[in-house]
Amino acid sequence: MVTSAAAPAPSSRPALSLPPSQFARLQPHAYLLAHLSPPSTNNQPSIRANGRAPTQFRVTSANAGSLTHTNGSAVVRIGDTAAVCGVRAELLHTEDIASWSVSQATSSNKSPRSVDQTEELGEQDDNETIERERAHIEDLNLLVPNLSLSTGCAPGFIPGSAPSSLAQSLSHQILSLLHSTRLVRADDLRIWYQPPSMGPEELERHNEEEQMDVDTAQNDPVEESPREIKAFWVLYIDIMIISLAGNAFDAAWAAVLAALRDTKLPKAWWDVDNETVVCSDSISDARKLSLRGLPVASSFAVFEADAAAGWRAVVIPEAAEMKAQRLARKGGVSERWLLADPDGYEEGLTQERACVVVDKDTDGKVIILEMEKNGGWTIDTEDLQQLVDLSSQRWEDMKRILDEC
Amino acid sequence: MVGPTASLSNLSRADGSASFKCPTTGYKILGSVNAPVELPGRRDALKPEEATVEVFIKPGNTTAGVGERYVEGIIRTMLQKLILGRERGFPRRGVVITLAIVGGGAIARGDSYLTLLPSLLHTSLLALLSGAVPMSMTYSTALVAVSKSNVIISNPTLVEAKAASSLHVLAFSSKGHLLLNESQGRFDFDTWKTVQQCAHALCRGVDLPEVDGDIAMEAQGDSGTAEGFVRETVENHLYRDYAWKIDTE
Repeated sequence: MVTSAAAPAPSSRPALSLPPSQFARLQPHAYLLAHLSPPSTNNQPSIRANGRAPTQFRVTSANAGSLTHTNGSAVVRIGDTAAVCGVRAELLHTEDIASWSVSQATSSNKSPRSVDQTEELGEQDDNETIERERAHIEDLNLLVPNLSLSTGCAPGFIPGSAPSSLAQSLSHQILSLLHSTRLVRADDLRIWYQPPSMGPEELERHNEEEQMDVDTAQNDPVEESPREIKAFWVLYIDIMIISLAGNAFDAAWAAVLAALRDTKLPKAWWDVDNETVVCSDSISDARKLSLRGLPVASSFAVFEADAAAGWRAVVIPEAAEMKAQRLARKGGVSERWLLADPDGYEEGLTQERACVVVDKDTDGKVIILEMEKNGGWTIDTEDLQQLVDLSSQRWEDMKRILDEC
Repeated sequence: MVGPTASLSNLSRADGSASFKCPTTGYKILGSVNAPVELPGRRDALKPEEATVEVFIKPGNTTAGVGERYVEGIIRTMLQKLILGRERGFPRRGVVITLAIVGGGAIARGDSYLTLLPSLLHTSLLALLSGAVPMSMTYSTALVAVSKSNVIISNPTLVEAKAASSLHVLAFSSKGHLLLNESQGRFDFDTWKTVQQCAHALCRGVDLPEVDGDIAMEAQGDSGTAEGFVRETVENHLYRDYAWKIDTE
């Protein structure tokens, strides 16, 4: 069908042939199906309507530091989907947190020194550190992502309207992924203050016996009063999808990742005399965030050959039966295709989606951080295994792209 | 272990309704289904040949926020495929599912919704069955957590879920397909496979080697599984509704 439509129409007979673009609009499902299952007579490979192989991702480019007024920013383009992300850091004084003194008293008060040591050990976080991280980043809402689709990015989204439910659920997905991957370290966001040790003056208030005890304690190397947190950095992560051609989540997440890698926080300290937090002007004092790992998201869609399945009252076969059918048909025409990184046209034709977020540790072992599959019943365990493998290949590409930007 | 409790058709004005209480997480959900209804003022959004599925979630103590939008999206995508929206009377109309969280802990901004998701899915299934909405299959769901020491905890409590290294929600159709998978946290694929088997056992019982599909299922008895629970709830309700008829026989 397509090959005949794609052939230039003979000038003598303009009658019934349609240009491919028109065919694509009139019969979108048949158009994509004809591309994916070419007739066996000509040896064409199965290819998508946009010229990609089923498991091929779109050309991706990233550019960091595009916005000058933010602490970190990035533009990520995946095909025709483009996302701009800006990270802005603002100060949150602990005295402005209503429950701060209470929550600090109740939370397990480890001495800050030992906390530092565990932080320095890096990946070997014990449970208590994780709990403190969660308490600070999640309970105090130190990360505030917001995604906006109301930019005229696609015809369906009217500029200037209220956030659509897609935009809202993408915002939530990004926030929940930031929390569950623990990408940002809470220690990067804390501003500490070390009160000077007052020395022996304090002791004069105590009576004799107590002073004795304290004297013995003073032999310990730790004699300074404990450090305290005076303020936090809050990161406002704003994502604008400036052009939407499918797969908004991958682009948005890649933009967040690139922007956070680019983010520099100015050196900040507590000024006792003014009782406020002061930031340094010089860029050389600013330091980058040290992120945990590099989680990369890859989305997939499943295109089903039988467009009319919904029309007829078909009895859906048992899962085991379906698998047997598929195995029997192997080598022949498959009835469904896993499409990596679906574009807008393909998203309109598919219902079943999968999204895998993977990271690799230093040994190159693949760690899955999120795996979602919804909207159908054709993806089974083997397919998910294949998707994880594809995602880990994608991780290599994305790492290269993000390292270069 | 105490199983979940549920009752059907609690609300008199909705087409279908159900309440569901999960004992391990403590969530209590009240759900209602109206189908098919005319959706006012949504001409452009309505599909000409299919029913539109709308899901609304109302948390117990606040207004719905972005987290609820996200879960609504998950439930909508899953049900859209299962509800036979092309049956007579359904095209151009809407299937409206409203789920109110009436008991249990609050979910704060940015918290994982996975602990609540199975309860929500079970409530919507029971409400859809109570409202006699045509569906191609039923389903059952399970919540599974993997602890830091790689121990698999089925039906974790909220405390266990919070401390877990990964959380998984899986839904299986009544014919054994994997309908939904939502996994969060750090894990590898082998762990997920074990989780999948565990969830499958929770939902549908242990698979016997295929001899005679349906006979094996019957003989095994599906009490204790999530699917058996749904079946029992609906059966009990039917017995109550038809008590007048059964008694006269």
